[in-house]
Amino acid sequence: MPRILDVGCGPTKYPGSIGLDMNPSTAADVLCHLDRGGLPFRDNSFDHLRAEHIIEHVADIIATMEEFHRVTKPGGTIFIATPHYTDFSSFRDPTHRWHLNTYSFLYFYPGGMHGRDMWYTRVRMREVKLNLRLLNLWRALGFEFLVNRSRFFRQFWEHYLSFVIRGKLMEFTFEVIK
Amino acid sequence: MSARVLILDVGCGRKKYPGSIGIDMSPAGQADVLCDWTRTPFPDSTFDEVRLIHMIEEVDDIFRVLAEAHRVAKPNARVVIMTPHYTDHASYCSPAHRWHLSSFSLWFFSEKPAEYDYYAPAQFRERRVHVTLLRIWRALGFQILVNHFRWFRKFWEHYLCFVIRGKTVEWELEVVK
Repeated sequence: MPRILDVGCGPTKYPGSIGLDMNPSTAADVLCHLDRGGLPFRDNSFDHLRAEHIIEHVADIIATMEEFHRVTKPGGTIFIATPHYTDFSSFRDPTHRWHLNTYSFLYFYPGGMHGRDMWYTRVRMREVKLNLRLLNLWRALGFEFLVNRSRFFRQFWEHYLSFVIRGKLMEFTFEVIK
Repeated sequence: MSARVLILDVGCGRKKYPGSIGIDMSPAGQADVLCDWTRTPFPDSTFDEVRLIHMIEEVDDIFRVLAEAHRVAKPNARVVIMTPHYTDHASYCSPAHRWHLSSFSLWFFSEKPAEYDYYAPAQFRERRVHVTLLRIWRALGFQILVNHFRWFRKFWEHYLCFVIRGKTVEWELEVVK
Protein backbone atom coordinates (compact mmCIF):
# COMPACT_ATOMS: atom_id res chain seq x y z
CA MET A 1 0.00 0.00 0.00
CA PRO A 2 1.47 3.39 -0.97
CA ARG A 3 1.73 5.81 1.93
CA ILE A 4 -0.01 9.08 1.12
CA LEU A 5 -0.01 12.36 3.05
CA ASP A 6 -2.78 14.89 2.40
CA VAL A 7 -1.50 18.26 3.67
CA GLY A 8 -4.31 20.68 4.55
CA CYS A 9 -6.87 17.95 3.94
CA GLY A 10 -9.88 19.98 5.15
CA PRO A 11 -13.23 18.19 5.49
CA THR A 12 -12.62 15.84 2.52
CA LYS A 13 -9.46 13.82 2.99
CA TYR A 14 -7.95 12.05 -0.05
CA PRO A 15 -9.02 8.36 0.14
CA GLY A 16 -6.42 6.12 1.82
CA SER A 17 -4.26 9.01 2.98
CA ILE A 18 -3.09 10.39 6.31
CA GLY A 19 -4.76 13.78 6.66
CA LEU A 20 -2.97 16.77 8.15
CA ASP A 21 -4.57 20.11 8.93
CA MET A 22 -4.33 22.98 11.43
CA ASN A 23 -8.09 23.06 11.94
CA PRO A 24 -9.46 20.41 14.35
CA SER A 25 -12.93 20.48 12.76
CA THR A 26 -11.67 18.68 9.63
CA ALA A 27 -10.99 15.06 8.67
CA ALA A 28 -7.38 15.48 9.88
CA ASP A 29 -5.52 12.59 11.53
CA VAL A 30 -2.65 14.89 12.51
CA LEU A 31 -2.99 18.51 13.65
CA CYS A 32 -0.06 20.64 12.61
CA HIS A 33 0.49 24.29 11.63
CA LEU A 34 2.79 24.49 8.61
CA ASP A 35 4.14 27.91 9.58
CA ARG A 36 5.15 26.84 13.07
CA GLY A 37 7.85 24.20 12.66
CA GLY A 38 8.16 21.28 10.29
CA LEU A 39 6.05 18.23 9.51
CA PRO A 40 5.97 15.62 12.31
CA PHE A 41 7.23 12.75 10.10
CA ARG A 42 10.58 11.08 9.46
CA ASP A 43 12.52 11.61 6.24
CA ASN A 44 11.27 9.57 3.25
CA SER A 45 7.98 8.57 4.93
CA PHE A 46 5.62 8.93 1.95
CA ASP A 47 5.26 7.71 -1.62
CA HIS A 48 2.89 10.53 -2.46
CA LEU A 49 2.18 13.91 -0.89
CA ARG A 50 -0.78 16.12 -1.82
CA ALA A 51 -1.29 19.81 -1.02
CA GLU A 52 -4.45 21.17 -2.61
CA HIS A 53 -4.99 24.91 -2.19
CA ILE A 54 -2.34 25.15 0.53
CA ILE A 55 0.85 26.58 -0.91
CA GLU A 56 -0.72 30.01 -1.59
CA HIS A 57 -1.44 30.34 2.17
CA VAL A 58 1.90 29.44 3.78
CA ALA A 59 4.27 32.04 5.21
CA ASP A 60 7.35 30.59 3.48
CA ILE A 61 6.97 28.55 0.26
CA ILE A 62 10.62 27.49 0.16
CA ALA A 63 10.66 26.22 3.76
CA THR A 64 7.35 24.40 3.17
CA MET A 65 8.58 22.78 -0.07
CA GLU A 66 11.72 21.67 1.79
CA GLU A 67 9.53 19.86 4.32
CA PHE A 68 7.40 18.29 1.55
CA HIS A 69 10.61 17.16 -0.18
CA ARG A 70 12.11 15.80 3.05
CA VAL A 71 9.17 13.55 4.00
CA THR A 72 8.63 12.24 0.44
CA LYS A 73 10.68 9.24 -0.75
CA PRO A 74 13.15 9.63 -3.63
CA GLY A 75 11.15 9.04 -6.79
CA GLY A 76 7.92 9.77 -4.89
CA THR A 77 5.45 12.33 -6.20
CA ILE A 78 4.08 15.62 -4.90
CA PHE A 79 0.75 16.93 -6.19
CA ILE A 80 0.10 20.65 -5.77
CA ALA A 81 -3.09 22.45 -6.80
CA THR A 82 -3.15 26.25 -6.52
CA PRO A 83 -4.91 29.15 -8.29
CA HIS A 84 -3.24 30.84 -11.24
CA TYR A 85 -2.58 34.48 -10.31
CA THR A 86 -4.96 35.77 -12.94
CA ASP A 87 -7.94 33.94 -11.43
CA PHE A 88 -10.66 35.57 -9.36
CA SER A 89 -10.04 33.01 -6.59
CA SER A 90 -6.40 34.08 -6.14
CA PHE A 91 -7.66 37.40 -4.75
CA ARG A 92 -10.88 36.33 -3.12
CA ASP A 93 -9.34 34.84 0.00
CA PRO A 94 -7.74 37.36 2.39
CA THR A 95 -5.35 34.63 3.62
CA HIS A 96 -3.73 34.09 0.18
CA ARG A 97 -0.18 35.38 0.56
CA TRP A 98 1.15 34.34 -2.84
CA HIS A 99 -0.08 34.79 -6.40
CA LEU A 100 1.58 32.20 -8.61
CA ASN A 101 1.93 31.23 -12.26
CA THR A 102 2.90 28.09 -14.17
CA TYR A 103 6.61 28.94 -13.77
CA SER A 104 6.57 29.58 -10.03
CA PHE A 105 8.06 26.20 -9.19
CA LEU A 106 10.95 26.43 -11.69
CA TYR A 107 12.88 27.47 -8.63
CA PHE A 108 13.06 23.85 -7.52
CA TYR A 109 13.93 22.17 -10.84
CA PRO A 110 17.53 21.19 -11.56
CA GLY A 111 18.83 23.91 -13.86
CA GLY A 112 15.44 25.52 -13.47
CA MET A 113 16.00 29.27 -13.48
CA HIS A 114 18.28 30.76 -16.12
CA GLY A 115 19.83 27.29 -16.63
CA ARG A 116 21.19 27.22 -13.10
CA ASP A 117 20.19 25.47 -9.92
CA MET A 118 18.95 27.81 -7.24
CA TRP A 119 21.27 27.87 -4.29
CA TYR A 120 18.77 29.07 -1.70
CA THR A 121 17.04 25.71 -1.45
CA ARG A 122 17.86 22.04 -1.02
CA VAL A 123 14.74 20.96 -2.89
CA ARG A 124 15.25 19.18 -6.20
CA MET A 125 12.27 17.94 -8.15
CA ARG A 126 11.07 17.48 -11.69
CA GLU A 127 7.74 18.53 -13.21
CA VAL A 128 6.04 15.33 -14.36
CA LYS A 129 2.72 16.87 -15.30
CA LEU A 130 1.00 20.24 -15.33
CA ASN A 131 -2.70 20.57 -15.93
CA LEU A 132 -3.79 24.16 -16.37
CA ARG A 133 -7.46 25.08 -16.28
CA LEU A 134 -8.92 28.26 -17.76
CA LEU A 135 -12.26 30.01 -17.29
CA ASN A 136 -15.26 28.33 -18.98
CA LEU A 137 -15.46 30.73 -21.91
CA TRP A 138 -11.80 30.27 -22.85
CA ARG A 139 -11.99 26.50 -22.40
CA ALA A 140 -14.98 26.41 -24.77
CA LEU A 141 -12.94 28.36 -27.31
CA GLY A 142 -10.13 25.80 -27.18
CA PHE A 143 -7.50 27.84 -25.34
CA GLU A 144 -7.26 25.37 -22.44
CA PHE A 145 -6.42 22.59 -24.87
CA LEU A 146 -3.70 24.73 -26.47
CA VAL A 147 -1.98 25.85 -23.23
CA ASN A 148 -1.80 22.25 -22.04
CA ARG A 149 -0.78 20.83 -25.41
CA SER A 150 2.10 23.11 -26.26
CA ARG A 151 4.84 24.44 -23.94
CA PHE A 152 5.53 27.16 -26.48
CA PHE A 153 1.92 28.31 -26.44
CA ARG A 154 1.82 28.24 -22.64
CA GLN A 155 4.84 30.52 -22.49
CA PHE A 156 3.25 32.87 -25.04
CA TRP A 157 0.02 32.80 -23.05
CA GLU A 158 1.78 33.65 -19.76
CA HIS A 159 3.63 36.55 -21.40
CA TYR A 160 1.02 38.04 -23.68
CA LEU A 161 -2.48 36.72 -23.12
CA SER A 162 -3.10 35.74 -19.51
CA PHE A 163 -4.58 39.05 -18.29
CA VAL A 164 -7.30 38.75 -20.93
CA ILE A 165 -7.63 34.98 -21.41
CA ARG A 166 -7.42 34.38 -17.68
CA GLY A 167 -6.24 31.23 -15.93
CA LYS A 168 -8.04 29.37 -13.21
CA LEU A 169 -6.35 26.44 -11.54
CA MET A 170 -2.91 24.84 -11.84
CA GLU A 171 -2.40 21.18 -10.97
CA PHE A 172 1.26 20.19 -10.78
CA THR A 173 2.71 16.73 -10.28
CA PHE A 174 6.38 16.70 -9.29
CA GLU A 175 8.81 13.81 -8.89
CA VAL A 176 11.16 14.11 -5.93
CA ILE A 177 14.88 13.94 -6.73
CA LYS A 178 17.31 13.15 -3.91
CA MET B 1 -28.01 60.06 28.57
CA SER B 2 -25.29 61.04 26.18
CA ALA B 3 -26.20 60.69 22.53
CA ARG B 4 -22.58 61.01 21.46
CA VAL B 5 -21.62 58.73 18.62
CA LEU B 6 -18.28 57.08 19.28
CA ILE B 7 -16.19 56.43 16.20
CA LEU B 8 -12.88 54.57 16.12
CA ASP B 9 -10.48 55.25 13.24
CA VAL B 10 -8.06 52.30 13.09
CA GLY B 11 -4.79 53.30 11.45
CA CYS B 12 -5.85 56.95 11.28
CA GLY B 13 -2.50 58.27 10.04
CA ARG B 14 -2.45 61.99 9.29
CA LYS B 15 -6.08 62.19 8.20
CA LYS B 16 -8.12 61.15 11.18
CA TYR B 17 -11.85 60.91 10.53
CA PRO B 18 -13.50 64.05 12.00
CA GLY B 19 -14.81 63.49 15.52
CA SER B 20 -13.26 60.04 15.88
CA ILE B 21 -10.76 58.50 18.25
CA GLY B 22 -7.71 57.63 16.18
CA ILE B 23 -5.38 54.71 16.82
CA ASP B 24 -2.13 54.04 15.02
CA MET B 25 1.27 52.46 15.54
CA SER B 26 3.16 55.61 14.58
CA PRO B 27 3.27 58.76 16.72
CA ALA B 28 3.82 60.87 13.55
CA GLY B 29 0.10 61.07 12.71
CA GLN B 30 -2.96 62.29 14.56
CA ALA B 31 -3.39 59.20 16.71
CA ASP B 32 -4.94 59.61 20.15
CA VAL B 33 -3.83 56.14 21.20
CA LEU B 34 -0.73 54.24 20.06
CA CYS B 35 -1.35 50.50 20.02
CA ASP B 36 -1.34 47.22 18.12
CA TRP B 37 -4.41 46.71 15.88
CA THR B 38 -5.09 43.31 17.40
CA ARG B 39 -4.81 44.44 21.06
CA THR B 40 -6.53 47.78 21.55
CA PRO B 41 -7.12 49.09 25.09
CA PHE B 42 -10.90 49.57 24.67
CA PRO B 43 -13.61 47.60 26.49
CA ASP B 44 -15.96 45.31 24.54
CA SER B 45 -18.86 46.94 22.65
CA THR B 46 -17.61 50.54 22.93
CA PHE B 47 -17.96 52.04 19.46
CA ASP B 48 -20.89 52.87 17.16
CA GLU B 49 -18.62 52.88 14.13
CA VAL B 50 -15.19 51.45 13.38
CA ARG B 51 -13.29 52.65 10.31
CA LEU B 52 -10.38 50.79 8.69
CA ILE B 53 -9.34 52.97 5.77
CA HIS B 54 -6.46 51.75 3.61
CA MET B 55 -5.00 49.62 6.36
CA ILE B 56 -6.16 45.99 6.07
CA GLU B 57 -3.89 45.47 3.02
CA GLU B 58 -0.90 46.05 5.32
CA VAL B 59 -1.66 43.98 8.44
CA ASP B 60 -0.22 40.56 9.34
CA ASP B 61 -3.58 38.89 9.72
CA ILE B 62 -6.80 40.43 8.38
CA PHE B 63 -9.04 38.06 10.37
CA ARG B 64 -7.44 39.02 13.70
CA VAL B 65 -7.75 42.74 13.00
CA LEU B 66 -11.41 42.33 12.06
CA ALA B 67 -11.96 40.19 15.17
CA GLU B 68 -10.64 43.07 17.31
CA ALA B 69 -12.83 45.59 15.43
CA HIS B 70 -15.77 43.27 16.10
CA ARG B 71 -14.93 43.07 19.81
CA VAL B 72 -14.77 46.84 20.40
CA ALA B 73 -17.84 47.58 18.24
CA LYS B 74 -21.37 47.65 19.66
CA PRO B 75 -23.94 45.15 18.36
CA ASN B 76 -25.23 46.43 14.97
CA ALA B 77 -22.39 48.96 14.77
CA ARG B 78 -21.10 49.97 11.36
CA VAL B 79 -17.66 48.86 10.20
CA VAL B 80 -16.30 50.69 7.17
CA ILE B 81 -13.36 49.16 5.31
CA MET B 82 -11.56 50.63 2.31
CA THR B 83 -8.69 49.02 0.40
CA PRO B 84 -7.20 49.12 -3.12
CA HIS B 85 -8.60 46.67 -5.65
CA TYR B 86 -5.86 44.23 -6.69
CA THR B 87 -5.93 45.48 -10.27
CA ASP B 88 -5.12 49.06 -9.27
CA HIS B 89 -1.55 50.26 -9.45
CA ALA B 90 -1.89 51.47 -5.86
CA SER B 91 -2.10 47.86 -4.72
CA TYR B 92 1.54 47.42 -5.81
CA CYS B 93 2.93 50.89 -5.06
CA SER B 94 3.74 50.24 -1.44
CA PRO B 95 6.11 47.50 -0.28
CA ALA B 96 4.09 47.46 2.94
CA HIS B 97 1.10 45.99 1.09
CA ARG B 98 0.92 42.33 2.01
CA TRP B 99 -2.49 41.53 0.59
CA HIS B 100 -4.05 42.12 -2.80
CA LEU B 101 -7.82 42.02 -2.49
CA SER B 102 -10.95 41.96 -4.63
CA SER B 103 -14.55 43.03 -4.02
CA PHE B 104 -15.29 39.44 -2.95
CA SER B 105 -12.44 39.13 -0.44
CA LEU B 106 -14.81 39.51 2.51
CA TRP B 107 -17.46 37.24 0.99
CA PHE B 108 -17.31 34.71 3.82
CA PHE B 109 -18.96 37.21 6.17
CA SER B 110 -22.16 37.17 4.17
CA GLU B 111 -22.22 33.60 2.81
CA LYS B 112 -19.86 31.78 5.11
CA PRO B 113 -19.42 28.01 4.84
CA ALA B 114 -19.14 26.25 8.21
CA GLU B 115 -15.41 25.53 7.98
CA TYR B 116 -14.70 29.29 8.01
CA ASP B 117 -15.96 29.58 11.59
CA TYR B 118 -12.59 28.27 12.65
CA TYR B 119 -10.66 30.98 10.81
CA ALA B 120 -13.05 33.91 11.22
CA PRO B 121 -15.35 33.51 14.21
CA ALA B 122 -16.40 37.21 14.18
CA GLN B 123 -19.80 37.70 12.56
CA PHE B 124 -20.64 40.60 10.27
CA ARG B 125 -23.41 41.30 7.80
CA GLU B 126 -22.40 42.83 4.48
CA ARG B 127 -24.48 45.99 4.04
CA ARG B 128 -22.87 47.51 0.98
CA VAL B 129 -19.94 46.99 -1.35
CA HIS B 130 -18.84 49.89 -3.50
CA VAL B 131 -16.16 49.66 -6.17
CA THR B 132 -14.53 52.63 -7.83
CA LEU B 133 -12.92 52.34 -11.26
CA LEU B 134 -10.43 54.50 -13.11
CA ARG B 135 -11.86 57.71 -14.56
CA ILE B 136 -12.17 56.57 -18.16
CA TRP B 137 -14.19 53.47 -17.18
CA ARG B 138 -16.33 55.50 -14.83
CA ALA B 139 -17.08 57.94 -17.65
CA LEU B 140 -18.12 55.01 -19.84
CA GLY B 141 -20.61 53.83 -17.23
CA PHE B 142 -18.84 50.67 -16.02
CA GLN B 143 -18.72 51.83 -12.40
CA ILE B 144 -22.50 52.13 -12.27
CA LEU B 145 -22.91 48.64 -13.75
CA VAL B 146 -20.40 47.08 -11.36
CA ASN B 147 -22.07 48.61 -8.32
CA HIS B 148 -25.63 48.17 -9.46
CA PHE B 149 -25.66 44.51 -10.41
CA ARG B 150 -23.95 41.88 -8.28
CA TRP B 151 -23.82 39.47 -11.23
CA PHE B 152 -22.08 42.09 -13.32
CA ARG B 153 -19.57 42.70 -10.53
CA LYS B 154 -18.84 38.96 -10.50
CA PHE B 155 -18.49 38.87 -14.30
CA TRP B 156 -16.25 41.92 -14.13
CA GLU B 157 -14.02 40.27 -11.48
CA HIS B 158 -13.75 37.05 -13.51
CA TYR B 159 -13.38 38.34 -17.05
CA LEU B 160 -12.87 42.10 -17.33
CA CYS B 161 -10.99 43.60 -14.41
CA PHE B 162 -7.46 43.28 -15.77
CA VAL B 163 -8.52 45.50 -18.67
CA ILE B 164 -11.28 47.63 -17.10
CA ARG B 165 -9.25 48.04 -13.95
CA GLY B 166 -10.53 48.70 -10.45
CA LYS B 167 -9.37 51.38 -8.07
CA THR B 168 -10.79 50.99 -4.58
CA VAL B 169 -13.23 48.71 -2.80
CA GLU B 170 -15.30 49.97 0.11
CA TRP B 171 -17.36 47.74 2.37
CA GLU B 172 -19.93 48.67 4.92
CA LEU B 173 -20.45 45.81 7.37
CA GLU B 174 -22.81 45.50 10.30
CA VAL B 175 -21.57 43.88 13.48
CA VAL B 176 -23.56 40.79 14.53
CA LYS B 177 -23.31 39.92 18.24
